[in-house]
Order: sequence, then C-alpha cells, then structure tokens
Amino acid sequence: MTQGVLIFAFNNEETDYLSMAEWSAGNIQRHLNLPVSIVTNANYTGTAFDHVIPADAESGGTRYFEDYNRTVTWHNAGRVDAYNLTPYDQTIVLDADYVVASNNLKRLLNAPQDFLCHRLAFDLGGQTDMRGINTFGKYDMPMWWATVMMFRKSNTAQYIFDSMQMVRANWQHYRDLYHIDRATYRNDFALSIALGIVSGHTQKVDEIPWSLASVMPNTHLTRYLDQDSYAIEYTDSDKKLKFMSFEGLDFHAMGKKHLGDIVETDRRTRLLDSSN
Amino acid sequence: MKPIAEQGYLIVAINTPDTNYVSCAKTLAKTIKYWHPDAKICLLTNATDASNPVLFDYVREFPYPLDLENPWANDWQVFRATPFRETIKLEADMMITSPIDHWWTMLRNRDVVVSTGCRDWKDQRASSRHYRRVFDANALPDVYNAITYWRLSETAKEFFDTVHMIFEHWAEYRKLLKFPEEVPSTDLVYAMAANIIGAERCTMPFAGYPQIVHMKRHIAKSQTEAWLDEFVFEYSGYLARINTITQWGALHYQVKEWTHD
Repeated sequence: MTQGVLIFAFNNEETDYLSMAEWSAGNIQRHLNLPVSIVTNANYTGTAFDHVIPADAESGGTRYFEDYNRTVTWHNAGRVDAYNLTPYDQTIVLDADYVVASNNLKRLLNAPQDFLCHRLAFDLGGQTDMRGINTFGKYDMPMWWATVMMFRKSNTAQYIFDSMQMVRANWQHYRDLYHIDRATYRNDFALSIALGIVSGHTQKVDEIPWSLASVMPNTHLTRYLDQDSYAIEYTDSDKKLKFMSFEGLDFHAMGKKHLGDIVETDRRTRLLDSSN
Repeated sequence: MKPIAEQGYLIVAINTPDTNYVSCAKTLAKTIKYWHPDAKICLLTNATDASNPVLFDYVREFPYPLDLENPWANDWQVFRATPFRETIKLEADMMITSPIDHWWTMLRNRDVVVSTGCRDWKDQRASSRHYRRVFDANALPDVYNAITYWRLSETAKEFFDTVHMIFEHWAEYRKLLKFPEEVPSTDLVYAMAANIIGAERCTMPFAGYPQIVHMKRHIAKSQTEAWLDEFVFEYSGYLARINTITQWGALHYQVKEWTHD
C-alpha cells in the first residue's frame, strides 16, 4: 500500500504557494519520511516532489487577508478533486501553509478510520475567540477543517469527496441552505457539509484526536533558534506585546505573508550555501 | 391507583383556552407508536372526548379536583393516576423522532429520574441559561419534567408528595428562593422537590440521555419563537431534520399550534 502527502499549490497575486509547498516537502520528508506530490498549474522543474500533477487553478472567489491588508484571489476550489488526483492508496492532504515540525502526522497513517480531519482549531496566541472560526453559517454549524485530511482509497472517502464536489457544483444552494453570508467558496465549509451528508446528517464524524494549532493572520510569525522552532509576536487584550516561542509543533500559518518570508529566507540561505 | 400494566408512557394533557394539548398528545402518541407499536400509552386529561383506542391504551381523568388557575399545579396527580408500575411521563407538546426503548434500561436503575439538562437541535448540550436564572441563582438541579420516570415506590411517593406540598404552599416555599416565580412552573417545583428529597435520589445528571431537544428561542438561537418560520424543517417517515441535522429522541417543539398530521 502506498502512502504519501498531497499538497495543492496555486500561486496568486501575493503568495507563492509553490515555494511554500516545496519548502514544506523538505519538512515532510525530514519528519514523516513520506513522498510528497503536488497539484499545481505552475511549470515546476525542481526535484522536491514525487509527482507533479498538473491541474487548472480553480478560483473559489476572493478573500481578504489581514497580513497583506488586501483582497486576493483564492485558488482553492480544486481540493475536492484530491481523491481522484492522489497517486497514493493512503494520502495526507495538507495545505501549503501547514507547517510540519514533528512526526505527529505519522499517527494518522496508523489510524483505522478511512477519513480523518480536524474538528477544532485554536489560536496559539490565545487571543482569538474561536467559536466563530470553528463554526460556519448563521446558525453556527460545526465546522471541520480541510487543512489536514487523511484518507484511504475507500467508499467512505470517495463519498465524502463526491459530496464535496456536489457542494462545490451547487454552492449557491448550499449557501442558502446553511445561511452562509459570504459568497466565497470555502473548502472547510464544503467538507463540513459533506461530512454531515455522509454521516447521515448526524454530525457523528471521526476526527483527528487533537486540535489544529493555528497562527492567526494578525500574529507575526518568525523563525526562532533552529529549523523547527518558531516564534510569534502578538498584542494581547491589554495592548501589551507578547512573545512566545515553540519547537516541534505542527501548525497552520493562517497569515501567509510571514510564512512566505520564512520560506524565502530559507531559500536564499540554501542558495548562498550551495554557491559557497 | 393499583397498577394494571407494567410499563408505559403517561402523557399529561390539560386543555387550556389557548392550547389544545390533547391534540398535541395525539401527535406524541402517534410518534411513540410508530417507533414502538407495542408501547402502552396512557392519556391523563381533563378533556371528556379524548378517547382514541388506536393511540391511547388508557385514558384517565385526574383523580383529584383540578387547580384551574395554574394547570401545572396538578402535576403531582400523575403518581396517583398512572396505570403503570413503571411510568415515563412525557409532556404533550413533543414528538419522538427515533427509538427510545433504551431509555428504560437507563432509567430503571432508580426509583425516580427527572431528566437533567436539555439539548439543542445540533445535539449539543444547551449552553444558554436564559430560562434557568432562578435555578442557577438558587443552586437547584437543572431538571426538566418533560421526561420523568418513576416506579411505584416509596421514593416516588415521597417525591410527588413533596411536589404536591410545594404547589399547595407556594406562598411559603417561594420565600426560600431568590428571584422566585409568581406562578410556579413544574420544572421549578420538581427542582425544589429534588433538592428536598435529595437530588442524588431522583436525577442522573451524568447521563447523556434522556434529554429533550428544546426549541425555545434562546436555546435554538432562532430570531423569534416561531422557529418553524425560520429554520429548514424536514419531516418524513417519522424522521425529523432541523437545518439538515437529524433529530433524536424527544423533540420539544414549543410551537403548540403546530402539530404534524
């Protein structure tokens, strides 16, 4: 049985997701020792990936990012094709901005479930009321995150991705049904609706048994002492500047700009090292 | 009253000028009989024309004179009126949306069990305390009389005698409370009675069921009490879904004028 990681990377006006994915592939190979494939519309000639799977960028709409202070195109709508595109029997789909800094995700490969994802995310800085982020729609429906998804080639996983495709294809209908105010298509919402459907509308869903650590867009993320150690700076509710470092912790960098800066710094360092 | 059957559901329906609770009770009985065709159901009512042999195995009138000013204050009579050795009392304005026979297995561990807490339509334990301020202010158990179990026992007699006493002497009992209600609700009186005889004897707060699914506005998070005007409600084959989520157990629909045919 083949196992691997799949990353979707479609650059937009502000973020070089391809570089992020390439950088992430290095982390994944170091910690998880798994091959990484990429789904992209870019002409990639490097060697970081096991497979480069060409696909058209499918926009889910535009989204405002606080760290860029502007609205950018969000090429996120192709994620629902992960089941059909993956070259692996068992796949971990990761956002390009998910930082692997430990071997934690290996546990998912040993889980007996056919599909797993996170139910709850939390703010590493502890400043954000996540109730509005861990739910969707006017009536606060429970939301599952599509940032990390483990699936096996199986009926259950296929039903989930088929349902996500149905949601994407009929997005306006599902927006109306779930009272979602924003027009932008979001994978997390589509996944949550799909999981509701596949669970027989019971919301009884297998979940990754830990929560998704998140660095919020209004938090400044930097590299700290070494390769897998990072730091965040944020302003607390008393308007005091706070600093926190952490090491060996996987996390979702919701602010793309700061992660992009780290990726770029690493890339330059590598280039300098190789030229010496 | 001597029991004439072993186990059954008792539905209390006192018609008021505003609400036809017997009609609600028929809807409830229909949904119980769908999931459990052999279930025995007794209607306890003040209506004289409520006989319906298909839905109700027994129709009983209240054995003692009714307090017409506060219909809730007659609740203590359920203990004397039930024809069952073991009874689950259900409030009339509910419908059963899934099998509930496993309730008996849980409830039979005690002589009396008043359900504790309630759930919202997302199957989450309700977090709103909007309707429970008097309970919280007085550290009363968070009971809901809408589902109450008892077996013929000394404990049950003690509990319902206490309920009777509190209703009868409300003017005195209300002095014990911070922010008391003018007209006592059954839930509040049950909570006080539970406290008096010992909550550990008549509640199971650790149990995840049975609990009603409450559709009051502040629990359902609807804009108005008329949640049916706002939510997507699907009802087919005795299965109910609210905003796509499948409902389990007892749905306390609140909107009395609505009953499903």
